[in-house]
Amino acid sequence: MASSNSSSASDEVFRARRIPAIALILPLLLSVAAPIAMVTPVSAQDAESGLAPDDIWSDDYANQIFPWGPHGDVEKLQFREYYDYFTLKERMQTLAAYYPEFLQFHEGLLGGVNARGDEMSSTEYEGWYYNHPSPWMKITGNVQGGEYNDYNNDDGNYADRPDVMLVGNHHAREWMSFEVPMLFLETVAYYYGKAAIDNDGDGLVDEDGWDGIDNDGDCLSLDTSLQDYNGDGIACGPGDLGVDEDFSEQFITDMVNTREIYLIPMLNTDGVRYDMEEYCGPTAWENCYRSGWRKNLRDNTVTGVTPLPDTDEQVDPSCDGVDLNRNYQFEWGAPLGATGPLFPGMCYSSGPNNDVYNGPVNYEDNDGDGLVNEDHVDGKDDDADGQIDEDWMGGNSEPETKFIQDLTEMNDDDGDGASDFKSTLTWHSYSELVLWPWGHCTNCDNPDQEFLEYHGYKMGDMTEYAPMQSSDLYPTTGDFCDWHYGVHNSYCYTMEIGNAFHEYPEDIAHIAVRNLGVPFYMVEIADDPRYRAIVGIENTTSTQWLQEPSNVTVPSKGDIPISMCLDTTFPFTPDINRTHLMWRFVEPNRQQNDYGPTEWVNVAWSMSPFMEPGEQCVLLDGSNGTMLESHIPLPDTSVGKIQYKAKLGTVNGAFPFTYPDSDTANYYELSIPYRAPFGSGILALLMFAFIATMVWGGLGFTLRAMFDDEGGVIGLPDDQSHLIDEEDI
Amino acid sequence: MAEGGSDEFSGRLGLIFATIGAAIGTGNIWRFPRMVGANGGGSFLVPWLIFLFLWSVPLIIAEFALGKRSRTGTVGTFRIFAGKRFAWMGLWTAWISTAIGFYYAVVTGWCINYFQTAVRGGLGSEVDTVEVWNTFLQNPMEVVFFQAIAVAITMLAIWKGAKAIEKVNVGLMISLFILLFAALFLAFVMDLEDGTLDGFVYMFSIQPEYLAQPETWINGLSQSAWSCSAGMGMAITYSVYMRKDEDTTLNAATMCLANNSISIIAGLTVMMAVFAVVDDPLAAVSGGSSAITFLVLPEVFAQAPGGPVVQLAMVTMFFLALSFAALTSMISTVELCVRNFVDHGIERPQAVGFTSLAIFFFGLPSAATWILVDDATGVAFPQFLEVQDHIWGYGLMFSGLFIAYSIWKYGWNRYRVWQEENDISGFSLQDYLDNGVSSFRDDFINTGDNDWWIGKWWDYIMYLGFPLMFSVLILSYFADMLANVDNPWDPTNANGISIILLFWGITAGLFIGLNRFIIINRIVPTSGNPWPLALLSGNFTLEPRPLYRNVPEGAEAPIDTLPGGEDPFIVEAGEELPETFVDEYGETRPHTGSSIEAELA
Repeated sequence: MASSNSSSASDEVFRARRIPAIALILPLLLSVAAPIAMVTPVSAQDAESGLAPDDIWSDDYANQIFPWGPHGDVEKLQFREYYDYFTLKERMQTLAAYYPEFLQFHEGLLGGVNARGDEMSSTEYEGWYYNHPSPWMKITGNVQGGEYNDYNNDDGNYADRPDVMLVGNHHAREWMSFEVPMLFLETVAYYYGKAAIDNDGDGLVDEDGWDGIDNDGDCLSLDTSLQDYNGDGIACGPGDLGVDEDFSEQFITDMVNTREIYLIPMLNTDGVRYDMEEYCGPTAWENCYRSGWRKNLRDNTVTGVTPLPDTDEQVDPSCDGVDLNRNYQFEWGAPLGATGPLFPGMCYSSGPNNDVYNGPVNYEDNDGDGLVNEDHVDGKDDDADGQIDEDWMGGNSEPETKFIQDLTEMNDDDGDGASDFKSTLTWHSYSELVLWPWGHCTNCDNPDQEFLEYHGYKMGDMTEYAPMQSSDLYPTTGDFCDWHYGVHNSYCYTMEIGNAFHEYPEDIAHIAVRNLGVPFYMVEIADDPRYRAIVGIENTTSTQWLQEPSNVTVPSKGDIPISMCLDTTFPFTPDINRTHLMWRFVEPNRQQNDYGPTEWVNVAWSMSPFMEPGEQCVLLDGSNGTMLESHIPLPDTSVGKIQYKAKLGTVNGAFPFTYPDSDTANYYELSIPYRAPFGSGILALLMFAFIATMVWGGLGFTLRAMFDDEGGVIGLPDDQSHLIDEEDI
Repeated sequence: MAEGGSDEFSGRLGLIFATIGAAIGTGNIWRFPRMVGANGGGSFLVPWLIFLFLWSVPLIIAEFALGKRSRTGTVGTFRIFAGKRFAWMGLWTAWISTAIGFYYAVVTGWCINYFQTAVRGGLGSEVDTVEVWNTFLQNPMEVVFFQAIAVAITMLAIWKGAKAIEKVNVGLMISLFILLFAALFLAFVMDLEDGTLDGFVYMFSIQPEYLAQPETWINGLSQSAWSCSAGMGMAITYSVYMRKDEDTTLNAATMCLANNSISIIAGLTVMMAVFAVVDDPLAAVSGGSSAITFLVLPEVFAQAPGGPVVQLAMVTMFFLALSFAALTSMISTVELCVRNFVDHGIERPQAVGFTSLAIFFFGLPSAATWILVDDATGVAFPQFLEVQDHIWGYGLMFSGLFIAYSIWKYGWNRYRVWQEENDISGFSLQDYLDNGVSSFRDDFINTGDNDWWIGKWWDYIMYLGFPLMFSVLILSYFADMLANVDNPWDPTNANGISIILLFWGITAGLFIGLNRFIIINRIVPTSGNPWPLALLSGNFTLEPRPLYRNVPEGAEAPIDTLPGGEDPFIVEAGEELPETFVDEYGETRPHTGSSIEAELA
């Protein structure tokens, strides 16, 4: 039986880790697998067309049992139950203890003089209320080696390793935003340094990595009723069984050995505790499915503006707290929308609480020049004094944001003064989105627009989440990504996970699995996200095609459709000025030379827009692409050639990609036959009769007149006839 | 004495056949179907027919009238009708025709080659016509060989003068009619077999939008202008051999109608055959230039119904007809040149031999140089020949303009004479219309010999319609080049405007400059040098160049009232030249012509 084989296979794995896992896993297996076990035989009866999960995979994989364990709570380890602050920290410490060669656990920062010259103590990074510093994990190969950073207190700083920051849980109620980082951590911890593993027990190794596609077709071989495991309506999409299930262990090992990963799974410890313990409770999905506590726990009661934290005081939910993801300094505080970000709330029990309060205004003279707030953080020298962003209006007022800011700014392994974090990721809930800067302005492109977009689309593909620029969702100021991108030029993405703040526990695992590829992608591109986007776009474009003339079907009448197949990640703009089919109809010159080659009329190029008919097409590399279609309007009577080429613009137009590739040909040429009816037989016969009468009849007439000596002179006017007669005589 | 007496056609049919032969050429067979295809089928036939009567017939009538009175070739005709100073116009006309002849002999050679290839079964359905064409064109020896054959046949045909030309033309033309009719029948069967007769339907269906496009009208005009060879001087040349009471107007109409009749037959043949066989017939018909003839048609005919014998017959007949059409045009081209030499006292055999050799040698570059391959299609084409056609093709328009000019000039002179006679001063349009504009028609067209009396409409066409049509043609030609040719002003661009203007300018400049030294006078070297050296060194004197008119016995063709008519050295063939002449300084000097002739006598 397949099941016994695969369970013994997992036994070996567990034995190899010297952990008696089976005792813990078996009851879990029975309980969690129960619904699946019930479904499976039912569908198996009418599933002659497809297979059941355990026909293909190991029982563990078929029931989404993760191979790690066992120290800690099995339900939490298996992502069937949420971590809380304490268990999460404990699990991180456990893992760090088990894998000291590449994991190093930290809490907060040690402090010292930070990048802005402020003397900081470690306590300043602890939450206002519960006083926990944010736990974080430094992940890199030989993490004990490298340089020691005496501010951040971490080892394993290597100047030649790109750094990447992955941050979970800015917003307390968004619980999936610390579960996904934990799954990432478990995955890294378990698979690092291992030889290629058959993760799903199908006998193949590393056959289906993270890309959102069922590369090996195992999901597709399931019975169709089982192909949408996560119930998102997409068969064999991300998060479904058999999709991206057998990634490369070597890839994980390589990533860890060549990057420094700063994983902060739970930034807002205060908020999480308050949400889980007070505001919604431990079973928040029941009473707070799409609500809950968002902010941190700054005490806004005293003055409403700059309160001193008072741990004795109970949290006042109608006005306490700062929205951490509005508290970063870049373009901080610009009033947006109707939420009044500068105003925390009314502080009476039923009064409105401002969930997006961005923290108090900073009235300090930060640079000591006697002026206040004369140069806020926007990357420009607002007061033209030669310094940039030196006297800010506010932001970074909270322990959590200070922690992020100082961790970023004090981590300069290569000493170049710039942030080492070339890529940064933050997890949020919910909406199933991939967002990138800007958030603070609408309809504003940034210099890396299409590169950001490229990676965003890539991650959108991995997750089937909708990629978009952050402000296209709604404008925000002072968020994590605007600050990282705006101040430190880091490619920064926000994942909006799932469909609720508090997802049901049974959904944790598959939602987390669905999001697992994204952090690995961010880690991978951390070396040079811009260059990777350029290369990626170029590779992408090389698999895209414009329909060749031999494949074009010229309809018997009407417009001529030309299609184009685009990679789904290609950040094309639908703006007709940048993305369009260029075409011209060339017909033989009517004043043709009699002896040379055919001469063609020079005509200008026309543009036709591309539309998305919503069909799929197959790219040159065999993967699926998005079909675009353009229509060339041409009268049916036209005879000649259509020359056409496609010009693709990405969002900011820096890449005018042309198809066909200009190295080989400038355009395609499609012969257009005469398509209209040739004419009416009757009318043609009449015309023939007319022409024949005129020409042949005329010839006959003249010939007859020629030899008819009696006929006289044709057309001779009467008054002239005597003259002729006289001359004839 | 160049010629003992006058030379003339034996009868009216002879003249008609000769002129029809001249008019019908490859243009009817390969240019006309292409024009029909490119200009909307039946829509094209409308302007084509209209311009037959607006351009071709009136101009041919003028040519006949001019030649019948001047009784000389083009140079003499302009010397007489436009005056001494404008004799170069005749040389231009002759040159354009001859320059076209240089490469036309090559084209005739192609046709003959294709005929013999067809006869030998080399154009069957199994051959790749592109390969046949490229192999042939890229083999200069072969091309030159068939060019030589074309020139030789032409030379033999005109060696003996008008009567021989007549006989050859009658034979060739009748064969051509029969061959074309047979081919038409086969094509009709082909087109009918697929059940639609779509070639016929397309050719005779008017597509209204095409009638609204100026190109259709311009192409109808240009097809009419070239196809009948109106303005080429051919009619002038052949009218030299007219009998004294020959008709000039009905002949012109007959000739043009016959030409268009053949166009329709050839056009129908090609259209029906192509539509029956080719998937995209209009692209095939309207696309290529000579390609349709040598690439498409052999393929098409190879698919004719009735098996290999009929297919062989069809392709053979077609190329034989094409060869005949080309040869008769070749004959008129050479004769036009020869006639001018004979007019100026050179023996006919000498003139024929010299002209033929010149046509052969000057045609060699067109035959064998710059044979390129079109990148787009892989089809070879002769670029030198193409450039020649590009340059000289539209020169024909100026020949027509010059003919109109002589008519305008004659009308103006007659008006001035009338004013003097009636002692009237000051311009009056009505008087000018009554006594000037109509005078050419009154004096030279409606002479009483004609079967067709020409009304005032002819004056309107010559005075108003012609300049208008001429301008439209020339302007549209240049506008087209400006629009569709890259770097049209680059003189090294073989398809550009500059190269045309350059060659036209040099030719016209040379002819105008040498008018006095070569055309109406001749150089008598005083130092014993040959005349070109004498001309350069200045050691020469000028004496009038004698012009011998070919006036049939009994025909009265007085030229006294014409601008160049009082020249004593324009004499009828057989007459003696004056012994002396008055030079430009007023001195009376002996003319060398009479002494030479005396010696010869």
